[in-house]
Amino acid sequence: MEQVASEPKNPYRDDFLVGLRSRRNEPVWLLERRQAALAAFERLGLPGKRWEAWRNLDLTPIADNRFPLLHTWGEIDDATVEAALGDVPDVYRMVFVDGFFSARHSALEGLPSGAAVLSLDEAMDAENPALERLGQAERTQQEPFLALNTAFMGDVALIHLGKGVVLDKPVVIVNLMSTKAEGRGVYPRTLVVAEEGAQASVVELFRSNTADAYLNVPVTEFYLDANAHISNYRVQEEGGEAFHLATVLARLERDATFTLHTLAVGGKTARTDIHVDLEGKGAEAELDGLYLAGDGQYVDHHTWVHHNTEHCNSRQRFKGVLDGKSETVFDGLVRVAPGAQKTDARQENRNLVLSPRGLAHSNPRLEIHADDVKCSHGSTTGELDREALFYMRARGIGERDAQALLTFAFVNEMLDTVRLEALKEYERELILRWLPGDETVREIQ
Amino acid sequence: MLQIKNLHATVEGEEILRGIDLEIKPGEVHAIMGPNGSGKSTLSKVLAGNEGYEVTAGEILFEGKDLMELEPEDRAREGIFLGFQYPTEIPGVSNTYFLKAAVNAIRKYRGQDELDAMEFLKLVKERAKLLKLEDQLLNRPVNEGFSGGEKKRNEIFQMAVLEPKLAVLDEIDSGLDIDALKVVSDGVNAMRSADRGFLLITHYQRLLNYIQPDYVHVLVNGKIVKSGGKELAEELEKSGYALFEENAA
Ligand SMILES: Nc1ncnc2c1ncn2[C@@H]1O[C@H](COP(=O)(O)OP(=O)(O)OP(=O)(O)O)[C@@H](O)[C@H]1O
Ligand SMILES: [Mg+2]
Repeated sequence: MEQVASEPKNPYRDDFLVGLRSRRNEPVWLLERRQAALAAFERLGLPGKRWEAWRNLDLTPIADNRFPLLHTWGEIDDATVEAALGDVPDVYRMVFVDGFFSARHSALEGLPSGAAVLSLDEAMDAENPALERLGQAERTQQEPFLALNTAFMGDVALIHLGKGVVLDKPVVIVNLMSTKAEGRGVYPRTLVVAEEGAQASVVELFRSNTADAYLNVPVTEFYLDANAHISNYRVQEEGGEAFHLATVLARLERDATFTLHTLAVGGKTARTDIHVDLEGKGAEAELDGLYLAGDGQYVDHHTWVHHNTEHCNSRQRFKGVLDGKSETVFDGLVRVAPGAQKTDARQENRNLVLSPRGLAHSNPRLEIHADDVKCSHGSTTGELDREALFYMRARGIGERDAQALLTFAFVNEMLDTVRLEALKEYERELILRWLPGDETVREIQ
Repeated sequence: MLQIKNLHATVEGEEILRGIDLEIKPGEVHAIMGPNGSGKSTLSKVLAGNEGYEVTAGEILFEGKDLMELEPEDRAREGIFLGFQYPTEIPGVSNTYFLKAAVNAIRKYRGQDELDAMEFLKLVKERAKLLKLEDQLLNRPVNEGFSGGEKKRNEIFQMAVLEPKLAVLDEIDSGLDIDALKVVSDGVNAMRSADRGFLLITHYQRLLNYIQPDYVHVLVNGKIVKSGGKELAEELEKSGYALFEENAA
């Protein structure tokens, strides 16, 4: 009689094998990295309550590969693309639908020489040297969703900026979900390699055409060589039932600067993990985040900023607004490694709770192993000023409108760091639509 | 237009207003004077609908409507304006935008078209001139970093833009220098009309030299202990409140 294999069945492995069939043209080294990542994920498992950094987040709804990998993509009409910053002319645009590169919707003409913006297939055909960085991050062994993405990533977006290349226009990467993504898992991946002195802005937009549940696990990696300057803008407006579990990695060499600006409004459960490694003297990172959590939403930002050498600066400013029954997390760690003298690190988290059922967790942390450093962190959570509300109502402004005005006043400064006018306008409208109140407040200047 | 009958109100369980009766007819200017802590601001906040104050007895009718039934914003939309003794600072909201939201909310309530940007700007410029308010103050966040006098001028400026039926002005004269007092008084006087009522709260006869009241009431310990014409204010200036406090006890 034959023995039934007693090994536990891994629900992700079948998906992986099916996925492999469509990747027959991938180089062996990449397949090996995928294999290793899958093994890492199998070893790590989905983080549970006992995993400190994940204890507030209930992942049982996505356990056991309940959102299997999507192998084909759906239809997206032009209006959807248009609405996703599609009508802004002066950008390089890459559109991904359900994780698949849609060349038809993209616009990449006129890139300066030394710059490449490519999908994975194109990058392999062109044998782009930056590709080699794909999937080699050490953290893949420790971060389950980074590992899962590395195993399953599909049509990667690769941005490679050669030495001294300054991109004249921002690259906008639009990640759209069609109805095809319902009940499925999607693993978008962006890799940005900026060689010495290169500069660019990279916008990532996450939008969906479906109100049903799906799982989006995007990863974006940045490698900044000496004196490179990269801005990353992320706008997360996933569908109302979506899971969005994102990872951002940035590694900075000498005198490089990385600025990150995120706006999170969508999803039912949304988390963004941001890992910044300051590896070269004079490197500088600025992280700004705004999250607006409405009824039924869970929004989480974890940051790990590692000062691994001396004379680096980092500044983090995260602001949240909570309405209805919502829950948010800001958990930020600044770690100053031994010998990282003259570190200047600041961290700030402020939350505004509009409803008694809103729950904001705020946990800024410092771990300092050097003595000549300047580090500060602060955290506040409060409600709207009652006197200010009364003053406005006494002038005839309705209660929800007054709340909206005061809330907008609280978040407004976060738009100041958006240096792209069209994006600033886009974000402003997103915020205004989110605010309570009626049409009167929609025209706040 | 305003009838207050046997009004009792408490703050945090403590009775502050203890039976106030007052009637204001269109076109009349009433002044309330009284010592510190007698309940003047409390009366104004109760009229405007501040939730921190509880009315425990009595009634307030405004043009026949029961005020207690109305939210603060609806009282304002019905035509009641409260000039605050301590105007609130609202960081991040520009004075102009704030006023525009107020004007249009009121117009909407009354079934009127909203003012467009041009019409609104014209109105604002005109009224700002009346109060000698610099343009720069219009664009700054509401009251933020305004001097005491600027805050008071801003209150009257808002009143001039909103054109209420009844204006309750709480110590609009405190903290003003002579010139500003004149500007503010001129602003109020310019707004006087046959169908608009005023309730001025003040400590000083001085204001009443500029804005001549039709009636003066003395509020002591939560009650109106005496009412009369403007000569009552002069009497108060000479004798102080001591006499009335005895009566009230
Ligand atoms: N929010 C509050 N909480 C507690 N006590 C209050 C509150 N508001 C008013 N009071 C009390 O009610 C009483 C009346 O205060 P009110 O401000 O009405 O006096 P007022 O006549 O306006 O005085 P002033 O001339 O000093 O402005 C005071 O004893 C005051 O301390
Ligand atoms: Mg007072």
